[in-house]
Amino acid sequence: MKKILGAAASAAILLSSQANAADVTIGLAVDQLFESRVAVNNGIHAEAKDRGYKVVEVVADGDAQQQNAQIQSLIAQGVSAILVCAVDQNTVERALVAAKRADIPVVAYDRDLPDSAVVQSFVGPDSKVDGRLAGEYTAKALAGYEGQINILELIGALNDQNGIDRSAGFREGIASLKDVNIIEVPTDWDSARALSGTQNAFQATPNIAAVFAATDTHIPAVETVLTDLGRLVPVGEKDHVVITGVNGSRDGYDAVVNGTADAFVVMGTEATGRKAVELVANILDGKAVERTNYVGGNLYTGADAAANAAKIWGAPK
Amino acid sequence: MQPKRLQTIVSRQKWVAIAVATIVLAGVLSVVSPVFLTLSNFQAILVQSSVTAIMAVGMTFIILTAGIDISVGAILFVTSALFAQLMLVTGNYALAFSVTLISATVLGLLNGLLVVRFAVSPLITTLATYSIYRGAAIHLTGAQNIPVPREMGFLGNGRLWGIPVPILVLIVIVIIGVYILNHTRLGVYARAIGNSDRSARETSLPVARITVLVYALSGFMAGVAGLILLARVGGLQSGIGIGIEFTVIAAVILGGTKLTGGSGTIVGSVIGAVFLVLIDNGLNLLNASPYIYDMVRGAVLMAAVAIDRYSAFRQSVVLEARREARIVD
Repeated sequence: MKKILGAAASAAILLSSQANAADVTIGLAVDQLFESRVAVNNGIHAEAKDRGYKVVEVVADGDAQQQNAQIQSLIAQGVSAILVCAVDQNTVERALVAAKRADIPVVAYDRDLPDSAVVQSFVGPDSKVDGRLAGEYTAKALAGYEGQINILELIGALNDQNGIDRSAGFREGIASLKDVNIIEVPTDWDSARALSGTQNAFQATPNIAAVFAATDTHIPAVETVLTDLGRLVPVGEKDHVVITGVNGSRDGYDAVVNGTADAFVVMGTEATGRKAVELVANILDGKAVERTNYVGGNLYTGADAAANAAKIWGAPK
Repeated sequence: MQPKRLQTIVSRQKWVAIAVATIVLAGVLSVVSPVFLTLSNFQAILVQSSVTAIMAVGMTFIILTAGIDISVGAILFVTSALFAQLMLVTGNYALAFSVTLISATVLGLLNGLLVVRFAVSPLITTLATYSIYRGAAIHLTGAQNIPVPREMGFLGNGRLWGIPVPILVLIVIVIIGVYILNHTRLGVYARAIGNSDRSARETSLPVARITVLVYALSGFMAGVAGLILLARVGGLQSGIGIGIEFTVIAAVILGGTKLTGGSGTIVGSVIGAVFLVLIDNGLNLLNASPYIYDMVRGAVLMAAVAIDRYSAFRQSVVLEARREARIVD
């Protein structure tokens, strides 16, 4: 009898949880669409599908005001929770306060909102660690280099915390090197600007020993300049310029596998997306969640990139 | 020709102010950076200017008619996306090039038709098409990056007779642009429409046809610029070209073309594009802090505008003096 009652109770709980799952709608507020963002969003959609959740996705095209309006719209639609990747951390707070008033939990993904009074949890890359991994690789590759070490750093957007942290981490990683001259080129994540900046930097300082790209999508631009200067030397050969980046895109993968770039740090895009939905599920279930949840990146070189292609989101499938 | 007459002709050119500003800026940079005055750096500056300058040639025609096209960056993006996709699927250069350039022209032409048909401000019309074209590009690519074949790099980084290919393309485009502007009805009528749309209509000029044609021409230029940018960067990246429209418009206005239409030159617009590149080139050469770029850009642009205003003031003073002298005679 006890067994029958237990089975009936389990079935009831299962049915009730399935009914709840069908009622859960996640409002996904995206800053803008580009390759790595789409990869994270794919992880969100996949996890939501596995759990039977619905997702309403809105994209702000980089417009902070538009994102606020979209979040208001999600609130009006009565979504169960909001996943947000903010265009601007100050502007978005007003809309998030409205979500809090409507008792809608908010989870930030990919870009943290550390000063927000509304965001209950964050999941994303530990950009400082990602940058440090690239920096440590560069330091190891340049150990024993004689004379001043000129390193070109292609910086992302100056108002993007991920870009800032990658830069800070990279500098921590190369701290063991002596007599380093860092040449900073702001790119605003724009490869055309990265190309011009790299070209100009090599004009001013021809003996650049290493390049760090805040996003590996800039690596083809670096290759273009080095080819033009006749300095594109494969990894391991004399006069090779050490090239590293962070992201995990096809551009980075191809460059590393082809031997023109040394290493790249691959972000866990799908894991980030899945974890974001898991956090929402836990919050809706009333479970405690960590405020900050990092999904660590992995560094791959020419020696192991191809063998780990399945783990690299940008690698050809 | 008498030196004084030559001086008068030169001083009347709209591009003189930006040329002076460019020379002043180049002078400063050559003092503070020993690398600036090298052939390779000049080539780099011209190559880096080429994409903006090519688009500025097309935009000059539009602004001459007192119009504007906010969607040129989006045209560049969508047609580059089309090219990258076609190359990925077919690998056929002839097909990809021709489809890209035809599409770019058609999208520009569509802008022109909408401006003429709805008689709504070109700013609003092209803002709408900007959104449509950009959305189409993102839809077409799924916001994914698409590499282009390595041989394509020749267009962005190759050399012919020792000259970088983008510079050669720019020279050809400028020659064609100057010819159309100064020696064809399209150029003359475009100026006339910008000077007075009403007068142009009253004198039975084909205002609608010319308007559509200048937008189509600008679309074509965006297509050419997109191919060069794609070749230089090595592949399509989501959002490529977005935001470039403001740089292009700034280059045209800095080059002496009046935003209200009727007056301007191709050469001025190209110098304007070079001037804008010079600022970043100088900052890069000096390894300036990334945090001062925007401030310096703004200050230098302000100085260029001041030189332009001063030059216009001097010109008006001279003209007024001559007018008074004629009255006295």
